[in-house]
Amino acid sequence: MSKGTPYKEALARFQQVHGTAHELPDTSVDVDALLRDHHPDHLGGSIVDLEVGANRGERCHRQLADMLQSNARIDEADLAGAKTVETDVLIIGGGGAGCAAALTAAKEGARVILTTKLRLGDSNTVMAEGGIQASIDKDDTPQIHYDDTLRGGHNLADKDLVAKMVLDGPDVIRWLIKQGMQFDVDEFGDLLTRRAGGTTADRVVYFRDYTGLEMMRVLRESVLNREIEVWHYSPAVELLSDEQGHCAGAVITDLKKRRNVLVKAKSVIMATGGIGRMHLNAFPTSNHFGATGDGLVLTYRLGAQLRDLDSFQYHPSGLAYPHHLAGTLITEGVRSAGAQMINAEGQRFVDELKPRDHVSSAIIRECAEGRGVDAGESGIGIWLDTPGLDLRNPGIINKRFPKLVQLGKKSGIDPAKTPLLIYPTLHYQNGGVVIDENGQTTVPNLYCVGEVSGGLHGKNRMMGNALLEIISFGRRAGHVAAQSGYQRRHNKVSIAHLGPMQRDLTLAKMPMDLQGPMLFPDYAKFDSDAEYEGLRKTRNREEE
Amino acid sequence: MSNTSEELVQLTINGNEITAPSSLSVIQALWHAGYPRVKSVGCLEGVCGSCRVLVRREDDADVSMELGCQTLVENGMQVIFLVFPTPTHHTYQLDEIKNSWDVQAQFHRIFPEAQDCRHCGGCVKTCPKGIDVEHGVRLANKGRFKEAGDLFIECIMCNLCMTACPELISPNHVGLFSRRVTAYFHIRPSNLINRLEALRTDQLQIIK
Repeated sequence: MSKGTPYKEALARFQQVHGTAHELPDTSVDVDALLRDHHPDHLGGSIVDLEVGANRGERCHRQLADMLQSNARIDEADLAGAKTVETDVLIIGGGGAGCAAALTAAKEGARVILTTKLRLGDSNTVMAEGGIQASIDKDDTPQIHYDDTLRGGHNLADKDLVAKMVLDGPDVIRWLIKQGMQFDVDEFGDLLTRRAGGTTADRVVYFRDYTGLEMMRVLRESVLNREIEVWHYSPAVELLSDEQGHCAGAVITDLKKRRNVLVKAKSVIMATGGIGRMHLNAFPTSNHFGATGDGLVLTYRLGAQLRDLDSFQYHPSGLAYPHHLAGTLITEGVRSAGAQMINAEGQRFVDELKPRDHVSSAIIRECAEGRGVDAGESGIGIWLDTPGLDLRNPGIINKRFPKLVQLGKKSGIDPAKTPLLIYPTLHYQNGGVVIDENGQTTVPNLYCVGEVSGGLHGKNRMMGNALLEIISFGRRAGHVAAQSGYQRRHNKVSIAHLGPMQRDLTLAKMPMDLQGPMLFPDYAKFDSDAEYEGLRKTRNREEE
Repeated sequence: MSNTSEELVQLTINGNEITAPSSLSVIQALWHAGYPRVKSVGCLEGVCGSCRVLVRREDDADVSMELGCQTLVENGMQVIFLVFPTPTHHTYQLDEIKNSWDVQAQFHRIFPEAQDCRHCGGCVKTCPKGIDVEHGVRLANKGRFKEAGDLFIECIMCNLCMTACPELISPNHVGLFSRRVTAYFHIRPSNLINRLEALRTDQLQIIK
């Protein structure tokens, strides 16, 4: 990467041109070429072909492929004497999708256990502050929402899934209000809407820049007040299968009691979220601490089909300075409110409201070609012109973006006066587990909802469609899982599906000592934490 | 994460002596020094309330409650991670409240302790977001739920005020109740309702 202009010098230059109108230069580019040359998905050597499993022979990011083709963390011996619990619906993951599924299934009378690796609500949902898409504006229709979503995803999304999601949009907002969630409204009580990158109408509804926080605290309170059993600090480490290879529950590790529990369930809903904490291509991430792709690994082992494993979203506005906050997200809401991006030469270089992959690639190009701002060990970035936004809309930053103001305080920067330095941050897994319109995977009795599932976003997701997806499909899966559960009996369950998987791994000469799912990023040192020693007897036994 | 050109500081976290660059947060410093840390780590952005820490700074007798991901390390600082408390004992469901005239009576039934507030200020002092928690409880007691809820916009449900309250009021849940009843009974956007009606009568379809 060529060096850009040093931070102080670039800031002085920025302030010289501050207050003048920044015209957008001619930015007509070949988007395909821009992505190919600069998007991190196309970094040399980062993609491999999978060698085992349902997607054998298909493209996958190298780091994700390692985990998908890893060995199990447990074997039969770990389950000897483990407690067994039965339920109708087991939900794995306590973010927005898991909560929406749990509330729906419980309301329909199913016995529900929701298990989550950390605490209920610890998820990317709580951090997704920009807003949620729903076509309610008079100039908008579900059809336009559908067209925008498909185009934003390079026409590679599953059309049936997208149609269901956009038609669900308005009712999702009503459902959230009925749970007690607030939205920003105008003086007449109508929902305020704004654009997002890639939308052709004002469609994002929001609550300040705390949409996900508001959503998550309301859903959490709602779940805790229903007849839903919630297990904290209890990650799933393996799925259970019956004699036909259908999903029949999961093995849950209780981190507080340090033991494994077998949960036999008539239906399992996987809602484990994304993969940001795998730090693909060594990128910083905007993701929650627990976003390590566990659900992908577990469903793949049970034979589920995945898709688009070579496509990830790098959000354009991750904080690049100061160093200790690198990767922290600045909501796209700031750009949709009108903030521009300025390079070290004081120029705009891309329409800030193009789709995220386009904008991110343009930022990476500016920095690669020497027009970035060099902040030393923090790395390189370009300006997000928040002072310009505040100049054109006096007071907007303090009024609309309290979280941005907080971030500024931590950075020692007043965003109304000084621009923030940004660079793309690993944000979202565009693909995931193949599902139908009810979240049903290719494995019977196994559902996936939210970021762990794939198909809704093609190869690029638009802002606000993730919060819509989690509620839309969370409710769909919760409903169907609750219904279908009544008709089945609990079967004999085991982890017998690991046998063929391990044979395939051996034949493909995969390193059998790499265990998955990852559960926590390596810098948390879970695998060397003495507190959890008892959970690792498998490995110790092999070493003896 | 190594960062040698920066100033190094020495501090104690959970009794461990740690040396770390001053630009790191408490959680980052713990990882930097090689200590495992899984519990009490969440969003790392200050919105999930998981990483509650007790902090005492050098030459300061006062102890403050902060968030480990938001607090930068300083020389001589002492930090202790707090265990996350069990959830509040208050339970309610919004659909049990028959109509908006009934909200205040239901509030006093669900949160009977709220009227016992001693105005000790403990909740205000512990709040890492600087919310005037006590005033919020006072407003809710008066039935001014919208106003009370608005005070809690930045509340991340870290439950520190709940831990601090000698009357077991669970002030953050009072705030959330106030916000929820306001949405449940009073957010009725005509643009949303019109769209729902158009969908219900099949006026809007998708051509794939």
